Amino acid sequence: MLRVSAMTTETEIDLQGINGDAASAAVSIDCGTELMAFAEAITYRETRQLIDSRQALLDAGGAAVLVDAAGVAANFQRMVRIADSIGIPVDDMEMEVGQEVRATLDLTRFASAQNTLNPA
Amino acid sequence: MQAFSFAQSPYPIRDDIPQAYKNFWQRLASPGSWWTGEERVAIAQESRNALICRFCADRKAALSPYTFKGEHSHEGKLPATAVDAAHRIITDQGRITRAWVENNNDEGLSKEAYVELVGIVVAIFSIDEFHRALGLALESLPEPKPGEISRYRPAHISEDMGFVPTVPPDGAVGNESDLWEGSRGANVIRALTLVPDALRDWREIAAAQYLSFQRMTNFVKDDNRSINRMQMELIAGRVSAINECFY
Repeated sequence: MLRVSAMTTETEIDLQGINGDAASAAVSIDCGTELMAFAEAITYRETRQLIDSRQALLDAGGAAVLVDAAGVAANFQRMVRIADSIGIPVDDMEMEVGQEVRATLDLTRFASAQNTLNPA
Repeated sequence: MQAFSFAQSPYPIRDDIPQAYKNFWQRLASPGSWWTGEERVAIAQESRNALICRFCADRKAALSPYTFKGEHSHEGKLPATAVDAAHRIITDQGRITRAWVENNNDEGLSKEAYVELVGIVVAIFSIDEFHRALGLALESLPEPKPGEISRYRPAHISEDMGFVPTVPPDGAVGNESDLWEGSRGANVIRALTLVPDALRDWREIAAAQYLSFQRMTNFVKDDNRSINRMQMELIAGRVSAINECFY
């Protein structure tokens, strides 16, 4: 979806922000570094990191940005668990943009890739 | 104090967020399709217990979750298979397999009950994560309401993907005609449709926390959000990558 959004807005981005590269996250994305750090802190459940990243995002973007970012992170903490608990496959493995993203981010290293690549 | 008033929040919270949470709290306390109100609230409690379960932490570190034996920290109000499922969905979802779901089914956790349980567990987890992200205290779980379960199954289901039956892309008709109106039946939307109300629950919460199905087609910026779509998807992608989610 990040790639699709970037294509729609004709914006050059660096997908490695998805894999945790802070400099990449900042390419063309406002508050990208802070948003990435906040998402990481929530997901890794690191209390100190969460307090610090929350304040950093608040300083960089303001309260409304912080609240909306928290909502999106919370939502995807749920979505990944729905996908993996039900074992759903990727809808269309032939889509070029999806193939590029999976290759760039090396997503086949994840165990849940088997739900798409080798469904039991 | 009213549930989800966010009176103690140092940050203004959009009105649609507490409204979605309050609506879910009402449904959580009520009898569902396959679990009573009391059981549904007990499942919600196990969603929270998973994060402090020693057995879950040790099992997550084990090479295989299927050879590691022990006992969960739990309230004792649910069958062992349901407790294990609730905890695993929170702490080790990436290693859930079809064989495990089938084995649970053989041991009494039907696929219908499993799907409803998944819906409850992840909804609670998501609402709690929003609170934790902002440093807010978690909301107390609601008091269960009495009543009978409906045992409702959708008229059209298929077994073309995933570990459980789902409503097929052309099956959202009749009682299910609202499931993905204005959208297509993507696999992630179909995932919980064996219990249609589970999808309705996640759809309402997702519309508040992220975007509604209709607004997901806007890849630039939603007028009601302070962050644009690229910012949203950076967060979504990072969370998904850390969770090692291929989908």
